[in-house]
Amino acid sequence: MRRRDLFFGTALAHTLSLDAAPHHPPRAKRVIQFFMSGAASQCDTFDYKPKLIQMAGRNWDPGEKVELFQSNPGVVMPSPWAWKQYGQCGKWVSDLFRHTAGHADEIAFIASMQSKSNIHGPATFMQNTGFILPGFPSAGAWVSYGLGRLSENLPEYVVLPDPRGMPPNGPANWGSGFLPAAHQATAIRAGTPAPIHDLHAATGYAHVTPASEKAGLGLLAEMNRAHLDSRAGDSRLEARIASYEMAARLQFSAPEVLELGGESKATRALYGVDDEITRDMGQRCLVGRRLLERGVRFVQIWSGADNGFPRRNWDSHENLAKDHGELATAIDKPIAGLIADLKARGLLDDTIVFWTTEFGRMPCSQGSKGRDHNPFGFTSWLAGGGIRGGVTYGATDEWSYKAIDKPVYCYDVHATLLHLLGLDHTRLTYRHNGIDRRLTDVHGAVLPEIIG
Amino acid sequence: MRLLLALFAAATWASEAEVQAILRSRCASCHASTNHFALDDPDPAKILAAVSGPKPRMPKAGPPLTNGEWAVIEAWARDARPKWWSFQPLRTSAGHGIDEFVRGTLQAKGIAPSKEADRRTLVRRLTFDLHGLPPTPAQIRAFLDDPAPGAYERLVDRLLAAPQYGERWARHWLDVIHYGESHGYDKDKPRLNAWPYRDYVIQSLNHDKPYALFVKEQIAGDVLYPESAEAKIATGFLAAGPWDFVGHQELKEGTFDKDNTRTLDRDDVVAQVMSTFTSVTAHCARCHDHKFDPIPQKDYYNLQAVFAGIDRADQPFDDDPAVYSRRRALLARKREVQRRLQPLLDQVERASNPEIVALDISIQDASLLITHMGTPKTPAEAEEKARLEARRIADRKRREEIVNTLIGAEVFAGTDRIKAEMAPIDAALAALPAPRLVYAGANFFQRAGNFRPPLEPRPVHVLARGNVRAAGEPAQAGALSVLRLPFSASDGASEGARRGSLAEWITHRENVLTWRSVVNRVWQYHFGTGLVESSNDFGRMGAKPSHPELLDWLALWFRDEARGSLKQLHRLIVTSATYRQSSAHREEAAKIDADNKLLWRMNRMRVDAEAVRDAMLLAAGKLDPAMGGPSVRMFLFKDDHSPVYDYAGFAPDSPGAYRRSIYRFIVRSVPDPFMDRLDCPDPSILTPKRSTTITAIQALALWNNAFVLRMAEHFAERVQGAPQPIELAYWHALGRPPSPGEANRHAAYVREHGLANFARVLFNANEFLFVD
Repeated sequence: MRRRDLFFGTALAHTLSLDAAPHHPPRAKRVIQFFMSGAASQCDTFDYKPKLIQMAGRNWDPGEKVELFQSNPGVVMPSPWAWKQYGQCGKWVSDLFRHTAGHADEIAFIASMQSKSNIHGPATFMQNTGFILPGFPSAGAWVSYGLGRLSENLPEYVVLPDPRGMPPNGPANWGSGFLPAAHQATAIRAGTPAPIHDLHAATGYAHVTPASEKAGLGLLAEMNRAHLDSRAGDSRLEARIASYEMAARLQFSAPEVLELGGESKATRALYGVDDEITRDMGQRCLVGRRLLERGVRFVQIWSGADNGFPRRNWDSHENLAKDHGELATAIDKPIAGLIADLKARGLLDDTIVFWTTEFGRMPCSQGSKGRDHNPFGFTSWLAGGGIRGGVTYGATDEWSYKAIDKPVYCYDVHATLLHLLGLDHTRLTYRHNGIDRRLTDVHGAVLPEIIG
Repeated sequence: MRLLLALFAAATWASEAEVQAILRSRCASCHASTNHFALDDPDPAKILAAVSGPKPRMPKAGPPLTNGEWAVIEAWARDARPKWWSFQPLRTSAGHGIDEFVRGTLQAKGIAPSKEADRRTLVRRLTFDLHGLPPTPAQIRAFLDDPAPGAYERLVDRLLAAPQYGERWARHWLDVIHYGESHGYDKDKPRLNAWPYRDYVIQSLNHDKPYALFVKEQIAGDVLYPESAEAKIATGFLAAGPWDFVGHQELKEGTFDKDNTRTLDRDDVVAQVMSTFTSVTAHCARCHDHKFDPIPQKDYYNLQAVFAGIDRADQPFDDDPAVYSRRRALLARKREVQRRLQPLLDQVERASNPEIVALDISIQDASLLITHMGTPKTPAEAEEKARLEARRIADRKRREEIVNTLIGAEVFAGTDRIKAEMAPIDAALAALPAPRLVYAGANFFQRAGNFRPPLEPRPVHVLARGNVRAAGEPAQAGALSVLRLPFSASDGASEGARRGSLAEWITHRENVLTWRSVVNRVWQYHFGTGLVESSNDFGRMGAKPSHPELLDWLALWFRDEARGSLKQLHRLIVTSATYRQSSAHREEAAKIDADNKLLWRMNRMRVDAEAVRDAMLLAAGKLDPAMGGPSVRMFLFKDDHSPVYDYAGFAPDSPGAYRRSIYRFIVRSVPDPFMDRLDCPDPSILTPKRSTTITAIQALALWNNAFVLRMAEHFAERVQGAPQPIELAYWHALGRPPSPGEANRHAAYVREHGLANFARVLFNANEFLFVD
């Protein structure tokens, strides 16, 4: 199916129409994605391997030449964190994510993820867009393109970047690529003076007053209608008039979404909003829930900025215990709180919570305290709308080195995500430079084992 | 028997007359009166199949074809081009002008063309189209008040002669080739020396450089015109796209990801070259034979082999031809010496034994911990850092000692000998005046980390499913086999010869794709839609031409009459009655052709991002007409692992902020949010045509952005003192006076809220943002 490929259709669909038809009845209406920038380790979080404990400190020999991103393979390095079993399903999770693990029975873990690149930039693109090259639309943009809006007042796709900075590739990770720009994410920098770029008049311009704005918009509408009167048959001109009306609604709705003052003390505690360590992620998770409640389709929340120093993301080449420790502590409770809150509000049934990263880390040490990149095996997880909880799909080898049982790329995860949203990933296409492009390229299969 | 004959036949060549004679004598007696196949448009492959085999199906009446006849048919089928329109020869036709073709098609559908637009509309349309700017009030009045015949043509000539023409149309070109000024990906470093290429495009257009020369310079200017610094700058084209800094500069040689990085980098160049110049999707054949077009996978990798000897890097050039000549000679010698030196250096670099491996791990461990620590915050940390640094020094010393024992003395002696040859070359280079630099396609440059010059073309193989781990047969530099045009570089040709051959191949007189592609692109920017809607795809997945005869006629006219002059092509198009039509809607015509594919009216166009910004600057009286030079960073910049590009913090009155938008520094990872919301494309994708969206977020940008608000203030100051400020503002922004009703209503608003607020409204008006 080619959706809204007509020029006018695109213009109008995004100012006027709501909720385009899916391909089949959906199980979920919306998605909230967590992206661990820099590559969160699987063997320190969700991929438990006793062998790493047994062989700790010995030379690592997986039986083949190991090609590492930066280093020569060091010794076998067990996780600095203890492991416990959680829930009915008995999933082993390290202490890093003890709160999240409390929801293990709601979560489908995909333990056999692989990436086609072990370089952050391309691999981060891949998890977001399905391609290791720049210029392709992100999953959220495809969902926006495929499903349209749920809300008259808010954008369909919102990203909440890490306040420490942009991830590798910057906003290109949540761009619309060759899809019309309307499908790119709107970035909200929660907790800053101007959370949405240009939502309100730039400050420092004395001529702008509430009265001048109101009267000015009235005058503009009048001029645009007069202009339209002598130019019948051009829907773009109408769409522009409508776009200012929608902008006004967005101006009104957005601050309300970001205002957390009305949330109860119990809710704030659940997300860790009042604790210094978890405050930032707690606020962003809470804003995320409020966005979802008000009809935003796709929310993406980043943990971690770029790969620079001092370390500000998950790229723990040097000191895994310190860096992974701080990062996970800051997000574990808020994410767990979000799941609990969505569940309590009945939203988890049709909201997918999706946690991912660009690749994994090696079971051996890099230097004495770090881990190098591992594109051959890592973990993503999903919970909520249509997901079967308490399952672990696929597996890595005994070292947590390579996915050997049912290995998957992001294609299958994206196909499953779209499927649950009511979209057939093979039919959600857009013609660009001679190819009917898809989020899943020419790959992808829905994973029935993780669907409830 | 047939097999044997086929061997002989392979050497023969079938003339059209011979084929026609056989078809007439052996086929027409039955088929001329049936619909089995059209004898005036026969399909060679089908006919060959029918007359071949031990018991040929055809001819039914009479004996089988003689061996001679069969050989003619076989040769004809073998040489036949695919039936798809874009591979056919350019057809001359009886028509002789744009309007004849367009009106002929309209007439056939029973649609009358629209009347000519009024002069005010024409001058605004033409100025935006050719300059990317609105006309000034004086320019409008001059045109309105010119009663002499030929006023319109004089306007066209004046606009084409002005330098703003090059600035406008260069921006289109930069879209097509995905020009950007940072690398993209992680570590999106700025390219400080990309801009000379941008200026090259502007100057080439302004000087009306013949198109074939423009193409050749960009692909192989350094090879075909070695003395010309301008031609060297042109190869900035080859480095226009994104580049994976980490993959090229940090990854070790010989790894999967390194090879993959290079393959994808060449893929980017191949896709750019073929899409831009030939409108063919050759890149679709990376993983398999093209599924829809006659492009085997081998052709694709042959194209990769053309670019197997270049990377993207800063390249020196000199304005003084004598200095440039001397520099090139020295660099050629340096490259030759480097070629002998490199294998010896590699031996030292790759020397390894278990102790070296252990030392490397220890050295890296120290480096990691030192980097991670940053500046020590406590005495204990400082002590730890000092300890690690001492350990690293000792490890490195020990490592060097071991390497010295592993590597034979003759290697070091050889290295010293060659380095001694290098020294005078380096000294001579250092004695030259400092060169200028352009970020361009590069076969030789200073090594940086693991990014080093290829010295020889790297081997390229056909990769099954595009996988670098599944290398098949070796590729040889070449182009698309389907066109059967000469490609002069032979097997094993030098890096330069490969690119030179491709440049000649693309600009060959008979390369029908090239000539159709360029006239279609130019048409698209004038009308909003090309004669072929998919201007980067003339294949089966693309659109068919709306006016095929016109397209061919234009291509031939451009090639032969205009001799590749783009300015003449613009002039031909914009002086046509078709272009000068009103854009008004007509219900009776829309019923037949709602999308205006047949051009019964002109298309109304939304002004693009750069033109919106430039039009605001012009109306505000601030537009700085300075041309060329380093790009203006319209953001706050902080270099870092991934550099920070902050647009929100940039003040709209900062130095350089009034320059035309083409001089903006274009960052890949972090686009300018204002331009982005006006559909300025992602510079990492080839953009043959921008999308035009209308969104709430866009409305907010136009209404609230600091740039718009500041320009509104400047605009207000500019018209403030005039006797009729509202009327003057109308002229500047919309190119007309207000009606009495408009003037009255707006005066009330201005009294209440001031002129700056009124200017803000004008900048948001549809009449400001659309061109009729």
